Amino acid sequence: MSSLKRTLRGGANTAFTGFCWVATIVALTALTAILWSLLLKGVPGLNLDVFTMSTPSTGSRGGLLNAIVGSVIMCGVAMVIAMVVGVLAGTWLAEFGRRSAFAEAVRFLNDILLSAPSVLVGLFVWIILVNPFHGFSALAGSVSLAIIAVPIVVRTTEDVLALQPTALREAGLALGTPYWTTIRTILWKSARSGILTGGLLAFARISGETAPLLFTSLNNQFFSLNITKPMASLPVVIFNFALTPYDDLQRLAWTASLLIAGAVLAINIAARFATREPRRS
Amino acid sequence: MNAVTTAPPEAEETYEQFTVALPPEKVKMETKNLDFYYGKNKTLHGVNLQVLDKGVTAMIGPSGCGKSTLLRVLNRIYALYPGQRADGEVVLDGENILDRKVDVATLRSRVGMVFQKPTPFPMSIYDNVAFGVRLYENLGRADMDARVEEALRGAALWDEVKDKLTTSGLGLSGGQQQRLCVARGIAVKPEILLLDEPASALDPRSTAMLEQTIVQLKKDYTIVIVTHNMGQATRVSDNTAFMYLGRLIEFGPTQELFQSPKAKRTKAYVTGQFG
Repeated sequence: MSSLKRTLRGGANTAFTGFCWVATIVALTALTAILWSLLLKGVPGLNLDVFTMSTPSTGSRGGLLNAIVGSVIMCGVAMVIAMVVGVLAGTWLAEFGRRSAFAEAVRFLNDILLSAPSVLVGLFVWIILVNPFHGFSALAGSVSLAIIAVPIVVRTTEDVLALQPTALREAGLALGTPYWTTIRTILWKSARSGILTGGLLAFARISGETAPLLFTSLNNQFFSLNITKPMASLPVVIFNFALTPYDDLQRLAWTASLLIAGAVLAINIAARFATREPRRS
Repeated sequence: MNAVTTAPPEAEETYEQFTVALPPEKVKMETKNLDFYYGKNKTLHGVNLQVLDKGVTAMIGPSGCGKSTLLRVLNRIYALYPGQRADGEVVLDGENILDRKVDVATLRSRVGMVFQKPTPFPMSIYDNVAFGVRLYENLGRADMDARVEEALRGAALWDEVKDKLTTSGLGLSGGQQQRLCVARGIAVKPEILLLDEPASALDPRSTAMLEQTIVQLKKDYTIVIVTHNMGQATRVSDNTAFMYLGRLIEFGPTQELFQSPKAKRTKAYVTGQFG
């Protein structure tokens, strides 16, 4: 190799490595700036009231209890729906549909749904659940969140099942296990951590969704556990309070943002732990 | 070196075939004019194989000769894949198991299989062995314990795992995992055990243990083993089938087949001239 070539190659290497560094720094700077302002403006608002009192009107004492509970309920119900539908659909795609034309169509539609604007999902649920029944409800909110979560769960479930070795599938069947039992007792178990990760990622995704809830669960100034009635949620409270001119409500909006970011962080850490492979003895 | 000579179409070639028929009462399983297709590709051509009851039948031959395919027909595991099809008959105790009316789950509980790579299930050693038993029998705790121990002893694994039955089967070494799979296979008390190159992923010591296990097992089970290793075939089997290009070329007692092969291709293969 000529020395010129070597110099050029070395230069290209340095340039590319440098470019990667710059890109990383740009991305990290943005992320740090967001987290920093979140901490700066959110932490001062954190106190016991946040967790014990419902959202106030401006000038009075209050917290985020109704929104926190509302978010947990709606996300929880949404995840139950999404896990049942998503895991079964993903299993069907991986184990039964495979490369058939129908399965390919389902896969294609699922991918579209994966990137569908969430506001459209909200409008869709408004049309099928809110308008016909003449009322906003937490249930409608859960359904719209579930619709956003399902494609994520479908995708990850299919992917992790497809990663399971063929030999494992055949070994189950070779013992005389019916296919469905093989899936339930061997494949799902073997793919458990991957499926769980998909669920947690979907949960993290929907916990910050605002648009679909605006059309469905609306908001509620008061504490409520009734899922057939409107219910408060952290994202909608942030949306509403951030648009008000009042400092105290804006401060609560920052605190609510911090709570969501903290919850997403906690979920991601939980996912790390949940998916840690059992240690080999 | 790189010149490729195009061989004449294989179907035109005639194959000399030599098979020694077993006495009917000693035949546990038999294939009759068995053809196999991967899509449009015919990979088995009229195979007639007899499997000795309570004995070991080895299948040898170069890569791609169809020996694994043939094995996978015997418990219909190929049926998992829509493009694969078998024509002809596979008779087990007088019944053609290729018949659609035969329930594959029941068939597979009678004809067990161990694969090339160890395939422990993601559960404890105990549960791995008990898994298949629970599907077909409702045993009490003590009976199940006894069955698990019996199976693990049968697979020569008991002494190594008796103190850690509740730990994951994934934590065992490769050789131990393979013997765990054998234990899992025999725990359901099948009539036939199919072994698809069971030692190909194992080190020599584990291979030796597995071979001893196979020799022990043939007292109670009918075994069919696919192997690349001719030494292994001579050590463990009673009868050997030599396959080539999807055809059964020669079948007979193992000693005879290796010491005085009748077909030219068999001779070339067992003496190491090709393969």
